[in-house]
Amino acid sequence: MTTLRSGRWVVRAFALVAWALAPGGADAQPTTQSQQPTRPAALPPRQANYAWDKDLLRASFSYRDVLADPELMKKLSSGLPTVIAMRAYVYREGADTPVALAPRVCRVVYDLWDEVYRVHISEPERERDQAAVLDGVLRLCTDARDLAVVRRALLTAGQAYFLGVVVDVNPVSPEMIEQMRRWMSRPTGSTGIGPSDALFGSFVQLFVRQIATSDKTLTFRTQSVVP
Amino acid sequence: MRRWLLASIAVVLVPVPARAQAVRTWGAEPDARPAPSAAGPPPEPPPATIGTPVAGSTAAPPTPSAAEASTAPIVRTPGAVGLKYTLEGIEVRGNTTTLARVVLRYVPFRAGDVLDVADPELEATRFRLLGTGFFRDVQLSLRRGTRRGYVVLVVDVSERNTIVVDDLWLGLSADVVPGGIPRPLTAYGGARVTETNLAGTGVALGGAFAVADQQLALRVRLADPQFLRTNWVAEAELLYSAARDFFGNRDVLVDDPTQPAEDFAVAQYKRFGGRIGAGHDLGISSQLFLEYRLERIDASLPRAASDDRGEDVEPIDFMLPDGSSILSTLRATFVNDTRDEPFLPTRGHRFEASLDASLTPLGSDYTYTKLQLHAAKWFALPWGHVLQLQGFAGGVFGNAPLFERFYVGDLSDLLPDRVLDLSFDRRPAPNFLNTDIVEIRYGDYAAKVDAEYRVPLYRGSRSIYGVDFFGGFGFYGLANEQDFVEHARGYTGFSTWPIDLTFNAGLRIETQAGGFVLGVSNLVGLIPVRGQQQGAARP
Repeated sequence: MTTLRSGRWVVRAFALVAWALAPGGADAQPTTQSQQPTRPAALPPRQANYAWDKDLLRASFSYRDVLADPELMKKLSSGLPTVIAMRAYVYREGADTPVALAPRVCRVVYDLWDEVYRVHISEPERERDQAAVLDGVLRLCTDARDLAVVRRALLTAGQAYFLGVVVDVNPVSPEMIEQMRRWMSRPTGSTGIGPSDALFGSFVQLFVRQIATSDKTLTFRTQSVVP
Repeated sequence: MRRWLLASIAVVLVPVPARAQAVRTWGAEPDARPAPSAAGPPPEPPPATIGTPVAGSTAAPPTPSAAEASTAPIVRTPGAVGLKYTLEGIEVRGNTTTLARVVLRYVPFRAGDVLDVADPELEATRFRLLGTGFFRDVQLSLRRGTRRGYVVLVVDVSERNTIVVDDLWLGLSADVVPGGIPRPLTAYGGARVTETNLAGTGVALGGAFAVADQQLALRVRLADPQFLRTNWVAEAELLYSAARDFFGNRDVLVDDPTQPAEDFAVAQYKRFGGRIGAGHDLGISSQLFLEYRLERIDASLPRAASDDRGEDVEPIDFMLPDGSSILSTLRATFVNDTRDEPFLPTRGHRFEASLDASLTPLGSDYTYTKLQLHAAKWFALPWGHVLQLQGFAGGVFGNAPLFERFYVGDLSDLLPDRVLDLSFDRRPAPNFLNTDIVEIRYGDYAAKVDAEYRVPLYRGSRSIYGVDFFGGFGFYGLANEQDFVEHARGYTGFSTWPIDLTFNAGLRIETQAGGFVLGVSNLVGLIPVRGQQQGAARP
């Protein structure tokens, strides 16, 4: 009798675990790994200038305030590379899935001996190296001018579209984040001979949170354009 | 360890004393550069210069004239982002306690090196320094050297508190009376605290204690993560324990004039000794540790004691010789760890294997080997939840002392773990499956498989980093050789398999202060156990 009662208990326990393992068994939001805006329409608005270059939509807008932090300006002249990566996603009004992406990456290094900034810009259709003074760096790296955004063929006539823009300063590569997390998980000397699952790793891990995935992230949306 | 209590807390103690001046080995302060005037409303968009402006959007100004273009502050010369300098020196700043040489251990550049500003090692150096746990922030920069083409690498650090409470233990151990009702036995508590950057040298000094009724354990540990400036970790630990352990729950016959008559037998022993060891990284995810331990054990045991095992009465094996003995062991441990995070991992695995050898040529009175294998893997499920599968297996081959055997409380979530090798609880396994697991407190062979399912409830970046609901379920087994060759009489069929269920559910909370586990298993463990009691053999 006792064995029978235990057997039922085991069956119930398995049923409980099976329910918990089932998708949707718990009411939680899935965590997303994507860095594109999840609610692009709700981003802070910012003005852009649009122009049609034959069937190519071009946009001009500024994100100069991404370098508003004095620490970032100081870093700009640190002699080590600063990367300003901008991604402009094209969204149809009312939709959260982008139909196109226009990236623009600016890499700046201050040349300590020539006292100029060496700038490398990558964007659709062009890639260029330039040397500039500080104001020129701000113009080159934080103003998107005539950015090639999307071909008209990808858009539906009569529908309104806008840009959801994400700007990262010094984004950390996924490989580096992975490596960094492993260091944090297993800091030298913390595991040692003792219990190697010590929670000291958790203490150190707070630095991972502080470092985040870039020095600064700026997001905004532009006004709509109807093709 | 009581899982419902704090698992780990990082405490902010007194400000770090300013013991040393900032170390400046090269040059002067770098130039302060002005902040941009970009704060305030969003900047206006630049004019469109190509194509036909879209009607309805902001009107595009006319194309800039050649004159305007010529006044733009851009030097129209071919540029090159890849720059290389000769490194003149390295300057460490902001370190008030940590010695500059400790910082420099983590910088893989030396004066005279050709420094490519695009070298990923520069970024890695920053994270490597953050990974020490000594600093709140680390920034690298370059400034001119004394000759053209030469630069100084500047490492700016911002120190943080490095005293860490690794573990806290508090709880009430319990006994059971016939019928399965638990009764409090003793309160217990303890803590493990580490100064991870002793006097700014990068050496860790830690201490731990655990205390209960007539039980005390002390540990002092010293660890150098870069022993003699090599990549070897060196550690030394001193230990002292005054311990007691309990055998049997009822119908125990004891001949011990030092103990009052009880329904259990008590083994008392003291341990004093230490261990030294070294560890080395085998790549980014693996480590190898080697350790030697030497201890003196003084045990005071009842002259004779017997207990029920099934339907039989058998003498109790206290797993220690009466009087003094020496324990001398060598241990090798291999760890492979690819978890993405230590407390709330979402992917990766962790594998650990250790082998202990205690041999008479090493001066040991105990002849045994002990092998332990532990593997865990985490899966990030597409819908955002996390599944963990875990397995453990271990075997003790030979005559190991009591505290080296596998303990039922370390396997079941429903009983307190040992703390610094002290066991406080006298309850047997809950025995949900009605097996002879209830007869076994210590075993030579142990295995466990379990799964844990986690549901992220909250993610943040300030004081609370994450809260996950978890539910765990598993099986474990604990046995001695005797249980394989001669089952306890009175058990038949499935009940001769010494296995049981374990489960837990609750919240895992990761905070700035450390990780916390609030589990219901501790509450479940306080309700009457389900299975039969030790010695109550079935007919």
